[in-house]
Amino acid sequence: MSRSRLVVFISMLVVGLGSLAAVGAVYLDPARAAVGPLPPEGLLLPADARFVAGLDVKRFTASPFYKRFRAQARPEALRDLEEKTGIVPERDVDQVLVAGRPEGGPAAGVAIALGSFDTYKLGRSIETGSKRKATARTIEGFTAYVFDEGGKGPGAVAFIDRQTLVMGSLPAVEAALRSRSQGAVPLKSNAGLMALLERVKPGATFWMVGDQSLLSNLPGSVPGPGGGAPVTLPALQSLIVTGDLDPVVSLSITGDTPDGESAQNLANILNGFVGLLALQAAQKPELKDLATAISVSTEANHVLVSARFPYELLEALQATPGAAAQTGPAPPAP
Amino acid sequence: MSALPGPAAGEAPPRDTTRPLAFLPAARGVFGLALEGMVWSRRSLLMAVLLGLPVVFALLYRGFLVAKVPARVTGLDLYAIIVAVYYVRNVLPLAALFYATSLIADEVEGRTLTYLLTRPLPRPAILAGKFAAYLGTTLALTLPALVATFLLLATARGFAGIGTAVPELFRDMGVVALALASYGALFTLLGVVLRRPVIPGLLFLFVWELVVHIPGYLPRLTLTGWLGSLVHHQPAEEGLAGLFQRQVLPVGEGLVVLLAASALFLALSVWVFSRREYVMEQ
Repeated sequence: MSRSRLVVFISMLVVGLGSLAAVGAVYLDPARAAVGPLPPEGLLLPADARFVAGLDVKRFTASPFYKRFRAQARPEALRDLEEKTGIVPERDVDQVLVAGRPEGGPAAGVAIALGSFDTYKLGRSIETGSKRKATARTIEGFTAYVFDEGGKGPGAVAFIDRQTLVMGSLPAVEAALRSRSQGAVPLKSNAGLMALLERVKPGATFWMVGDQSLLSNLPGSVPGPGGGAPVTLPALQSLIVTGDLDPVVSLSITGDTPDGESAQNLANILNGFVGLLALQAAQKPELKDLATAISVSTEANHVLVSARFPYELLEALQATPGAAAQTGPAPPAP
Repeated sequence: MSALPGPAAGEAPPRDTTRPLAFLPAARGVFGLALEGMVWSRRSLLMAVLLGLPVVFALLYRGFLVAKVPARVTGLDLYAIIVAVYYVRNVLPLAALFYATSLIADEVEGRTLTYLLTRPLPRPAILAGKFAAYLGTTLALTLPALVATFLLLATARGFAGIGTAVPELFRDMGVVALALASYGALFTLLGVVLRRPVIPGLLFLFVWELVVHIPGYLPRLTLTGWLGSLVHHQPAEEGLAGLFQRQVLPVGEGLVVLLAASALFLALSVWVFSRREYVMEQ
């Protein structure tokens, strides 16, 4: 082998070894693994989260649902993000992750947005143009903007890097930044939510998992049909929701109950409500289509609810009752 | 006169010297010769220094700067700037310019082209072998520096976050190879067409390519526009440069355009080189 070929061979060997080392470093990364649909950055969410939800913003804003129902459909998290930071979610944000915590109220949530952020421009935008007064601070080496500092329940937005920002209550944001600087992954210690996340298939436009602490606030019973005796709801242990918005609005809800009998009871109750919907068809024919679009089944101790709503059905349901009455069912042909 | 003895049993018949060598063996031969001349040259030493500077910076960062730089500026941020600004926008086009324009120009200047052209080598094979040697040399100099820079900077504060960055390394390696191929093909064309290709090449790089900052359709007519869009890192332009933010062009389209442009420039180079008469200056 000539000298020059030896040099080229050695350099390619260096590249190969370096690439192997890089791949090996992936396994040393404490937050390397995405868990289900949750990217590694989502592991910064608090360990005591009651639920975790995710939204694929790109798919959401490209969906017919968003185009048709934009005014009502825009999630609160996206509005809050734009109001505080000047970020245009449709353009700059790829994914939003939200975690809800036990305290309740507006300070209970913390959100992580993933996308492409021009941190310098956004910082200027927050400092000069935000509708709410913001104070710049350095927390754990990261730049954070605190809103309503000194007030009740101050909020904050912080840029972890050009692809990640965290927003929420000031204590929650501080905790996330502390975790990041220490290389910690707090959400991973929540075994319940981790187990639920592993059951969610990546690829849904939106998803949510909640464990028992979320569901403990659900009512234990609902009024019976026709004002009869209340119906006791079986205790749900966890909830997994996934959905897509293209080509139709499709929803899949999986609830875990203590045993198969509870699952069957809950499925029967849900089927009952679906039946009630169908019975309302005389007043609003679309409700019958809505009822047929929902199916309830059980599998061991899991209750599975799946629904597929065409957009035409949703638009028909949105029509006002007055307009529906005026354009009510066509008179029978002579 | 007695006939020449034929080949011994088991030996290949002698080559028909009335016909040129086949393309692949010819290109391989030229590749070996050109590689030897390119790798061990002062030009390669200078390029190795330029391309290896980020490694030096990465070592300095790890050794001294990491404790002084704010935590929000990570090693990966610095790596992103090195790839997007230092390599893709500046050094790689310069490396392509100085190597590719001289593929044929050096032979002309050294008056060795005649010897090359009188050999039974198809002209396309000569150019292909030299271009392959150029690619081999530049990739051998660039890729190790890129990988070393990545490993040094990405792990400066531990392994946190490296998982998401490793695919970017492989993507950047692809972009580097494509940048060297596309700029190399263009400057090879300049080299076979023009007698003094370096100045027009510099004008292309530092005048025409600036068009990438103009809004509208013009960035699509630059190589740097497409290459910059393939790189995932988009460093923010601050101050006055922020007024001329680069467009981010579609990635899929970029791949097609760059590959097609490289093929086109190379094909044109081969066509021109195959037909051109080179007259050596006395």
